[in-house]
Amino acid sequence: MVTKTKGVGDLFKEVIDKGLCTVCGACVGDCPYMVFYRGKIRMLDLCNRTEGHCYEYCPRTFTDLDAISNRIHGMPYGGDEIGSVKRVVMARAVDSKTRSKAQYGGTVSMLLSLALDNGLIDAAILSKNTEDKLPSGFVARSSAQVLEGAGSNYMAYPALETLNRMPRDSKDRFGIVVTPCQAIALAKMVASPPEQRVNIGNVKLTVGLFCTWALSYGRFHEFIKNHVTPAKIRKFDIPPPPANRFDFYIGKDIKSFPLDEIRDYRMPTCAYCLDMTAEFTDISVGSVEGTEGWNTVIVRTQRGMEIIEDAQKKKRLEIKELPDKNLAHLREAALMKKARAVQAIVEKTGDKNDLLYLGLSDKLKDKLLAHKVTPQGGH
Amino acid sequence: MPNIDIDAPGSNQLFIGNEAMARGALEAGIGFASAYPGTPSSEILGSLSEIAKKRDIYVEWSVNEKVAIEAGSAASFAGIRSLVAMKMNGLNVVIDFLSTIILSGIGKKGIVVMVGDDPSAHSSSNETDSRPVAKWLDIPLVEPGDFQEAKDMMPFIYDVSEEFGTICLLRSVTRIAHARGNIKLGEIPKIKHKARFEQFLDPAAPMPTPIMCIPSPFRHMFQHMRIDKVREKFETCSFNRYVGPEKPDLLIVTAGSGWLYSQDAVNALKAEDRIGILKLGTLWPLPEKLVKSCLSRADKVLFIEETDPFLEGAVMEYAAGFSAESKRNMFYGKQTRHLNSFGELTPDAVIKAITSVLDIKYAPRDAEYMKKVGAIPQDHVMDRLLTFCPGCPHRASFWAIKDALHMDGRHGFVTGDIGCYTMALGPAGFFQTRTHQCMGAGAGLANGFGQLGRFGFDQPVVSVVGDSTFFHSIMPALVNGVHNHANFTLVILDNGATAMTGFQPHPGTELTAMGEPAAQISMENICRAIGARVEICDPFDLKNTTRTMLDLIEQEKGARVAIMRRTCELVRQKKDKKPYKMQINPDKCLGEDCGCNRLCTRIFRCPGLIWDASIGKTRIDEVICNACGVCADICPEGAITKEAVA
Repeated sequence: MVTKTKGVGDLFKEVIDKGLCTVCGACVGDCPYMVFYRGKIRMLDLCNRTEGHCYEYCPRTFTDLDAISNRIHGMPYGGDEIGSVKRVVMARAVDSKTRSKAQYGGTVSMLLSLALDNGLIDAAILSKNTEDKLPSGFVARSSAQVLEGAGSNYMAYPALETLNRMPRDSKDRFGIVVTPCQAIALAKMVASPPEQRVNIGNVKLTVGLFCTWALSYGRFHEFIKNHVTPAKIRKFDIPPPPANRFDFYIGKDIKSFPLDEIRDYRMPTCAYCLDMTAEFTDISVGSVEGTEGWNTVIVRTQRGMEIIEDAQKKKRLEIKELPDKNLAHLREAALMKKARAVQAIVEKTGDKNDLLYLGLSDKLKDKLLAHKVTPQGGH
Repeated sequence: MPNIDIDAPGSNQLFIGNEAMARGALEAGIGFASAYPGTPSSEILGSLSEIAKKRDIYVEWSVNEKVAIEAGSAASFAGIRSLVAMKMNGLNVVIDFLSTIILSGIGKKGIVVMVGDDPSAHSSSNETDSRPVAKWLDIPLVEPGDFQEAKDMMPFIYDVSEEFGTICLLRSVTRIAHARGNIKLGEIPKIKHKARFEQFLDPAAPMPTPIMCIPSPFRHMFQHMRIDKVREKFETCSFNRYVGPEKPDLLIVTAGSGWLYSQDAVNALKAEDRIGILKLGTLWPLPEKLVKSCLSRADKVLFIEETDPFLEGAVMEYAAGFSAESKRNMFYGKQTRHLNSFGELTPDAVIKAITSVLDIKYAPRDAEYMKKVGAIPQDHVMDRLLTFCPGCPHRASFWAIKDALHMDGRHGFVTGDIGCYTMALGPAGFFQTRTHQCMGAGAGLANGFGQLGRFGFDQPVVSVVGDSTFFHSIMPALVNGVHNHANFTLVILDNGATAMTGFQPHPGTELTAMGEPAAQISMENICRAIGARVEICDPFDLKNTTRTMLDLIEQEKGARVAIMRRTCELVRQKKDKKPYKMQINPDKCLGEDCGCNRLCTRIFRCPGLIWDASIGKTRIDEVICNACGVCADICPEGAITKEAVA
């Protein structure tokens, strides 16, 4: 299936005005027209081009999963619950300081820190919280700087804007941490490299984060401000089920909110995403159900294998096999997200042949439409 | 500018109409002149200010027209002839005062309001005809039909003002005010002005006699009687005359620039033996006997006058009163659609009206004329947008306002006002301005929008005004907004000049109209004293100005102020050389490619930037560019560079 690249007017019409934007940042930072401000993508002036990178790389414009999979993993999109896999393990940083700053096991920080140390990359594109506890992109060039980005606040932010703002003639090799939607946008860039932008070939390592949904930057920040002083928050956490809580760590205290209340601040677009495990990356990282302080790690590419093996060899990561039960649970959850997404899309369009942005084989579509879904659970 | 007080009685001088009127006022012996600038009236006070000290008269650019007329009236009350000048919009501002001074009467010396109308609204927000005000308020009105009359009417109308104790109006239009003609000069009297406000009209009276409008009905009756007496004087005035055959086929009744067009038309049609012209110089009260005698000359009557059918209505109304004894005149003009009651008169329009009434065949020009005229500029005039000057701070200010409103994303908008920045209705200001009325109206409207939150209104409102406009009519709106917690942001574009009308001083600038040091009024101090939050920024610092604007429009309530301060480029370049050397690196310029798409020449559109389609790159027009450097900050690729000139 082929679809035409359009311009920014169509991007607004088909994606942003329909509430499908994930604020991944693929359309921002590359031109003077598009900006990200207070959780929204805004257009400063009308660009009248009929074709643009903004439309082309958006993860919510037509996305041919086979084409992307071919480009990233060298095979069509198989529809495996957790995507293309070379190895699944559980891991954590050996360094306790990294672990203490990290959300779970510190694996993401450690992988990037290692990639900087072993010369795979020169710079890591990460997010850190502002004083006001809003996520903001930054470039880390040392292990110490990488640690500044440790921890999550579950808010969607335009990671790819930071990449787009890199100088066009930069010789730096980059590592980047992305959510699944950002990984798809990045994969689209790799599949059709942009002109007049940072050389996408210089992105040498993509680390994906498991994601069920992200919180709306603007609305959730209002919620935070209404309940606590943002500057005092030390950490955000969603403990694994059955806790069903959202915790704010303030000093030594924990202020908890029912997760159901927090779910009201989800980005509506996340309901239409079928990727829980950031399938189009070198390596994806999430939590481990029932085991605190560890990460689930899915190694997807040769480069991913190399870095995980180096991490083990250099004793930067402690690695164990993921118990079968956990892997089964992970597959189940990931499949459930796929099925929910496709069914939500069809419910929205009212047409089984209109999957909005998704380019999916009929076979896979039918399978996901037939899958029995349960009401949405944890994060 | 010629020297309007040249001491050469009897000589001929080339003056524009406004200078002729200023000269006339000098010959009338004025000692006081006040005005607020406005096209086409500004050169009157401008030319008087140049010679004020030498001639020992007082000249003032007042904060607004109302203060100007009140100040001028005080001079009259104290025995000094005074002139007050304004454009038609200003007349609206002074109506309230006019409606009282017609009752109270003036002082011992005359006062004349010169009002400049702008048919076709070349430099105006409206096209009002000022003359009906004279009828409405019983004010004697004259209108010069040529440049000589522009001067000569002044001494005449001052005499009328004093003889009848009433304020008088002199109306001119752009084509008289701004066109240039030969004037035969008269003498400027040598007067040692002495001012005193006599509080006891009768020295023996036990009580003072205030100048007042009460008892109003009695004084209203007196004003009506007074205007009838003025009518008698106007009957024999030499500014009114009939030219033409004893019994023409057509009588043209005209005034002002219509007199010039009528003569041209009759001449072009070679119809001098068929058409007679009654040219009126005193328009109100109507010299009825003269009009009646002329109406008896011809059956057909055509009215030629700028803008509204004022004479047309007045003459027809008067003629209806003696229809039983009069000939059955046929009246032609705007009411019969022979001429438009909007836009300027043109010789063609007048010829067309005459030929239609008299059924004459005449083609004023060949059918291809307009096409040919349209073709000439294409070869000789650059195709340029109606826009701000290169280097104008307003372009940068509106860029920041636009970015802030678009980032905010709540569909905020600008309520506009009157000044160069009115152009922000169009591409010059990136189409940000959404309302355009009269001076001060933008802030007044913002007061209203700013109270609509209770009805679900959630759009940010930004009122943009100039520095001179701020003093003229914004301050009460800001007081109202702060007092009532209206939710809006007032942006004052402070370029240190009344730029649009020719850099007249205003209360925020350094010098008075006389060229003496002025007490400069601080806008920020005023705004802060009112209780508004005030932020001051340099519009050329786009980043900071945008951030400041965002912060202001995100404030949840109350009237707040941003002062965007940067000297008008036309003022700056008189003092300083270009601050930067501007260059464009064609290798970096993305042109129409994704990532830029000609932001500088398609959106920013400073005239100093040229899109060179042949190479697909932007170039700098070295002649036009004033090297403000702002485009270097707009360019997303850093292709435009600015290098400070030592």
